[in-house]
Formats: sequence, C-alpha cells, structure tokens
Amino acid sequence: MITFSGEHDLNTAPDLRQKLAAELEDGFAIVVDLSGAAFVDSSILGAVLDARRRAREAGVAFEVALNEGAQPVERVLDVTGLRASLPVHSTRGAAIEAARSGPAGE
Amino acid sequence: MTVQGLNLTVAARPENLAVIRQALAGYADAVGFDSDAIADLKTIVTEACMNVVVHAYPDGTAGPLEVSVEPDEHGLEISVRDQGSGFRPRPADVEDSGLRLGLPLIAALSDEFEISGGGGGTEVRVKLGYSRNGAEEESGDERHDPETAEGMVMSIAAGAFVRPVLARVIGALAARADFSVDRLSDTILIGDAVSAHDASDFRQGTVGIELSDGMGWIGVRIGPLVEGGGERIVDGLELPGGTSLSKLASDVTVKREQMEGGDAAEYVVVRIDR
Repeated sequence: MITFSGEHDLNTAPDLRQKLAAELEDGFAIVVDLSGAAFVDSSILGAVLDARRRAREAGVAFEVALNEGAQPVERVLDVTGLRASLPVHSTRGAAIEAARSGPAGE
Repeated sequence: MTVQGLNLTVAARPENLAVIRQALAGYADAVGFDSDAIADLKTIVTEACMNVVVHAYPDGTAGPLEVSVEPDEHGLEISVRDQGSGFRPRPADVEDSGLRLGLPLIAALSDEFEISGGGGGTEVRVKLGYSRNGAEEESGDERHDPETAEGMVMSIAAGAFVRPVLARVIGALAARADFSVDRLSDTILIGDAVSAHDASDFRQGTVGIELSDGMGWIGVRIGPLVEGGGERIVDGLELPGGTSLSKLASDVTVKREQMEGGDAAEYVVVRIDR
C-alpha cells in the first residue's frame, strides 16, 4: 500500500518510483491511495502508469484508490483521460478488495 | 524595472518546483482566483517549469528558470522561460510516461497557450482567467543574469500581493530547510513585516527579494531600497511581542551598493538558521 499526502512533483517522483519498484519486487498486490494528495503532476502520474504496466506484465494486482471529492487529483486524471486507463476505486476498501481478488487482466 | 505582476528567477532544479507553485498560488489567491482556478494554475505552472528542468539545460547544469505573472482584467498571463538552446530530448535512461502528458495538460487547462523560442531559450506563455476572452500582450520583462540562478530572485509590485506570495515562498523554503514549526513561524513573521513595510522605501515601488537556502538556513536579501530604507526596515520591523528582527534572525546587515547612474541603493541581508 502506498499512501499519498501533501504535494508531489518531479522532486518526489524518484522516491515514489523507488517505492513502487520495491513493492513490485516483493510481488504482493499493490494499492496506491491518491486520496490524500494535495497535488500531483504528470511525473507522478507517469510513475503510477509505468508501475501499473509493470505490475500487469508481472501478473501482480495493481489498484488505485481515490475518494470522491479528492479534487486536485480527480481533475488531472479527468483532463488527461487517465481515469479510464487506471483501475480507480472510490474507496480504499474497494481498492484493497479488488487487489485481493488478483490481477485484473484486461 | 517597475513590475506590475510577479517575477521569479530560480535555478532549474526539481526542488524549486514547489516554491514556484506556492508563489504563484499565493499570488492567484490574492488576485481573487477561486480554488479550482488556483488548482489549474498550479498544474500549468508545474508542468511548464518541469519541461525547463528536464529539457532546457545539459545534464548536471541548472540554468535559470524564469517565471512571470501579469494580471489583467480577465485573469493572469503567465510566462515560463529558460535560456537553454532549445528542446533537448530527455535522457535515454529516463523511462517516464508522465513526461508526455505535460504539454497536453497545459493546453487543456489554459485559456490560451503558446510556445515560442529557439536558440536563445524557450518560452511557454499561458493565459488563465475566469472568462475565455484573453487580452493584453507582452510583459516586457528583462532577463536576469544566468549567474543569479543559484538562489531565487523575485520582484513584485509593493502592495497587497507581497504578503501572500512571500509567506508561501518563505514557508516552502523553510519546510525544505527542515525548520521546526516555531522557526517556520518566525521566518514567516519576517516576511510579513517586510510585506507591511512602507512602499516608499522600495525603489520604483517594486519589492525585490532574493532568497537562498542551504542545509538548515535561509538567506533573504531585500532591495534595492532608497537611502535610509535599510535602516528603517531593520528598525521598523514591529514583530508581535516586541520581538526584533535581529532577535529572530542569526544575522542582519544593511549593505550599500552603487547603482548605475551613481545612486546608492541599500539592501537588507538577513540570515535565518534552523
């Protein structure tokens, strides 16, 4: 589980990539909770997208939680059209539930 | 140089993105942008500046990243410039789907958007406001000397917008320098006091601030000021509880420098330790 809080951009992206890579290495299902993020830029979205791709290749479940009303992140996901290409759940519980039931496939 | 809006010059480094974002959010807040418009502005500015950080300069060099904001009746015109030699492909070892999203994001969120440039640098110019009708052209900013790219150079018209911008910028720097909450509030008090100082002590009514930071410290250079302005800032800062500037700061000095045309200008130089 990777939980966001505060603002994230190119400066914190390497740290996020490292965390995501470590989770992938462990091979457990991954849940990224973006609900608490006050700001994310495209480098952060890119890190999440790349991790999602790798997880799919490795057969590891990868789910995203984003509470309704988490506006700053919702806005960028909507504008970039990424909401459709990421497995976004409106509660952390739903994301964890989906992750437990295994990789989504697609 | 008289400034209507806000000008910032920082080194094109990832850690400066948050500082720029905070400065512009503070400014937009002060001119009356609502929270949705501020959120869009933060994304636009971050994406445009990230392009400079990633593409403008050769690896290992951080040239200047210049941001200016000019208000007009419709909203804000934002310019993000570098002095690089044009678009550089991202390093081959950087795998990042996100870098392809930046320009489309800027285009989608702004009312008007253009990129210009070539050998002398690239400029991204964006308009953002409540209405879809932009106006105004050319902010006519001077370029800063690349040598100043180490710290952060900021100029803003004296008045109501200084405080919100300065508070956020100083807050972001203090957080980055790992200040305690107490020291952070001391530091913001200094920014508040500078903001409240009589505009007539600032040359051309423009508040010039140069900020620098390092491991556990922040440096603030205020000026150019008119003669005697430096002393008045140091003496006149009335901080709550009778605290003086010299008590809050580790070092306070007034420096005099000769300006072009023979006039002397004063600067107040303050160092605040963690």
